[in-house]
Parts: sequence; structure tokens; C-alpha cells
Amino acid sequence: MASPTPFQSQIYQSLPETERADAIVNRISNAISLGLLRVGERLPTEIALSDMFGVAGATLREALAALRDQGVVETRRGRNGGSFIVRQPPTPTDAIHAWFLSTSVAEIRDIGDEHAAISAATVRLACERAEPHDVDRLQELATGLALASTPAAQARADSRFHIELAVAAQSPRLANAEVRLQGETVRQLWTPLAGALDAEPATAEHLRLVRAVSQARPDEAQKLILAHIRRNIHHLIETKLTLGYAESTQEHE
Amino acid sequence: MTPEDEAFRAAASLAAWFGGVSVDVSGLARAVGERVGDNLALTPRRPGTTLSGLEPFSREFLAAHDFAVGAGAIFAEQSTETGGRALEWWSRNETGVVEKLLFDLTPGSDRYYDYEKLPFFSIAASTGHQTLWGPYVDYLGFEDYILTFTTPFSVHGRFAGVAGCDLRLRDVERIFIPILRRVPGNAALLNGSDRVILGNSGTYLTGERVKPGQGARIALDVPHLGLTLLHTP
Repeated sequence: MASPTPFQSQIYQSLPETERADAIVNRISNAISLGLLRVGERLPTEIALSDMFGVAGATLREALAALRDQGVVETRRGRNGGSFIVRQPPTPTDAIHAWFLSTSVAEIRDIGDEHAAISAATVRLACERAEPHDVDRLQELATGLALASTPAAQARADSRFHIELAVAAQSPRLANAEVRLQGETVRQLWTPLAGALDAEPATAEHLRLVRAVSQARPDEAQKLILAHIRRNIHHLIETKLTLGYAESTQEHE
Repeated sequence: MTPEDEAFRAAASLAAWFGGVSVDVSGLARAVGERVGDNLALTPRRPGTTLSGLEPFSREFLAAHDFAVGAGAIFAEQSTETGGRALEWWSRNETGVVEKLLFDLTPGSDRYYDYEKLPFFSIAASTGHQTLWGPYVDYLGFEDYILTFTTPFSVHGRFAGVAGCDLRLRDVERIFIPILRRVPGNAALLNGSDRVILGNSGTYLTGERVKPGQGARIALDVPHLGLTLLHTP
């Protein structure tokens, strides 16, 4: 093999320890966001972790310290000690912005298609299977969206409502699918990057859905949730176009 | 035996099984209540010890009941020394190792587990009797499709929380199906809200709700759980 050019050796030079620590932080944060690691879960021991990541103990401890500073991980002492995941990692606006730039309009539409399929089945089953306790809970969560005062709180309330619909449908698989779909899009939906989503109509739609579920009207519930998702996808695509193609819009005008 | 007799026999078998669980869960609840009472009576009081020493009770319960996936105690908000919420709950993980289950108990957080609003807690708390909740998707809790059996306990005469166990549908299936399969025709075990826990065929599916007036029903002789056996020829 030919000796690397100066450029190549620049690219392929061994990673400084700080970058490795950042990579570990990102790996663990992403795994939590994706639900692969859960709040409450204990991470493997420091020795096992540094072994698996192939980094020095000091690097690993640096990564854990960064996660602790973000409030994502808590290290407890004692016999039942270890590093535990205590919170979802914060998603900075930068990452959401990057998501809009890297996700195409067709992909956003496709997320909407999957969400529509999952949600339509979910609400129909919820109409058949929900009982008063579930309806009360949904009603409370629907109201929660109106009371949420920050985009992060709105995202939380919104996703919680949709996940709880799947819980009311008695389906662990639909609930998992909903958790994944919410994880993919709910922060993008509520972070006001190019015009904020109005919580009032969203709350009204949630409340109408709760009524349809409580009155066991599957056709109406399905119609409502499909319109709800269409509107959300419309907002995501509008945001995508504003952020990604602002300049080309100006050229046209 | 007539189909009717078979249905009564199945109902009696199921009732006996739940009765056994009920006795053992009551034992767990009593042990937890006594232990917490003893902890509180210790002089001098050492902070942070109110809930100590509960782990062996859960471990013993799980060791003695292979059909239970979790066991422990959940405390009413006002009963712990810090006034906070507490769950002392241990579960078997996928490899069979028993581990403490950790919950997010910070109100307003993403994954806040608001257990005082969940029926296995609230019903036992308000009625003072044992209760069975489920099947339900225990989102943010054990995160499986389970039944939760709970009994309230008191400390020094005051309601302090509930103790109980989690039963995965996939685990109790192995116990209930052989009993239900003996009933000719379609039969299903229903919970107190007429929701199917398990059926003996594809007719009554787990999680579905049965409308009143369908089939003949036999109430299971287990107090407060509201269980019935539904059967249609």
C-alpha cells in the first residue's frame, strides 16, 4: 500500500481522547433517545464499558462526567451502585435544525404515512378496548398540552398523549411503534424554528379524539387522527422548506 | 360431566390459583408493613432507613413464584420520611437475574411514573382491599403486557402503600390455558371490567372487552378481584 498523502494521514490520524469521549457521549445519548437504553437502566461497569468502547479508563470517566453534567446519568455508590440513566438527553436546537436539513420532503411525508397507518389502527382499537380509566387519563393528558408553557413541555405532552392512546389500545407493539415515531418527530414538531405550531387546535383535536374514543366511534376517531397527522406533517414540511430552501424561495420571488 | 360442570370446575381451579396468590401477596404486604413499622420504631432514628430491609421479601417472593416477574411495595406519598414517592420493586430481567426496578419519579419529567393515579395503587388505596389490574401495557413501569396484583398494607394502623406482584401475560398463559381448555366451547377469564385476560380459543382475545349479556358467567370465588369465567357453548 502506498504511503498516505499528508491529507490522508490528517484524516486517519488517531483520535484525540476528547473526541473519543464525545463519541461515547453521543453514542449513549442517541441510544437513550431511540429507547435502546431506558431511564432507570444501569450501564455496564466502567471496566466493561472502557473495554467495549476500546478506550482508556480516563476517557470513559470523562464521557461519564459529561453525561452526569447533562443530568443524563447518575453515578451511585454502594453494593447496588453503578451508573444509571436518569433522564433523556437534551436535544439541542442545532440537532433539530440539522434533522430538517438532512431529511427530505419525501422522507417526512413517509414518516407521516407510517404514523397514519399506526395511529389509525391504534385509535380504532382504543375505541373498542378503552375503559373509563383510560379515557380519564387521555382527557387529562389532552388538557396537559394546553397547559404546557415551553416547546419542550408541549413536545412531552403531545407525545405522551399519543403513546397513551396505544396503551389504551392494549397493544405493546403499537405502543412501541408510537414511542419510536414520537421520538423521531415530536421535538421537530414543537421547536419553533420557522413558525411555532399552535397548541390550541392541537389540544382541541386531542380532546375530540378522546370523545370519539369514549363514545366508541372508530370511524370518527380514525378520521380525526388522520387529519391531525396530516396537519403535523404539513407543518414539518413547511418548516423544512423554510429552513432548507429559504434562498431559492427568494430567487423565485 | 356436563359442559356446565366443566366450566364450574375450571372456575374453581382458577379461583384456587388466585386464592393462593392472594394469600402469598397478603403475606408479603404484612411483612413489608411490619418491617417498615420496625424501622420507624428504631431509636435512635437513622435517616434514610425507613424503607431498608425490604429487598429480601421481594427476592423470596420471586424465588417462590416462578410465574411472577416482579414483586415489591409501593408507598403512599405521605408515608415515606421525605414525603416523596417510593417504589421498592424488584423484577426478573430477561436473563432471570432479579434487579431493582428504577422509575422516574420526578413530576413533569419525560418519563414520570405517576403510580398514585394507576388503578393497582389507587383502587387498593381507596377500597382497602386487594385488587388485580390488567392486562395493561405498563408504559414507563416494567414496560411489558402484565397484570398487577396488589394488597394494601398499613404501618402502625395507617394506610402506607400497596405490596404485590407483576404477572406477565405470557407467563400466566401456561397456567391458565390448560385449565380453560378443559371447558368445552368458548371460554374466557375476564377481569373486573369485563376485559379478557385469556380465552381458550381465538374467539375471546386478551385485552378485548366483552359486552354485557354475552355467554354465561361464573363469578370466581376470590374476594374483591371481580374475576369471572365466561363460557359459551
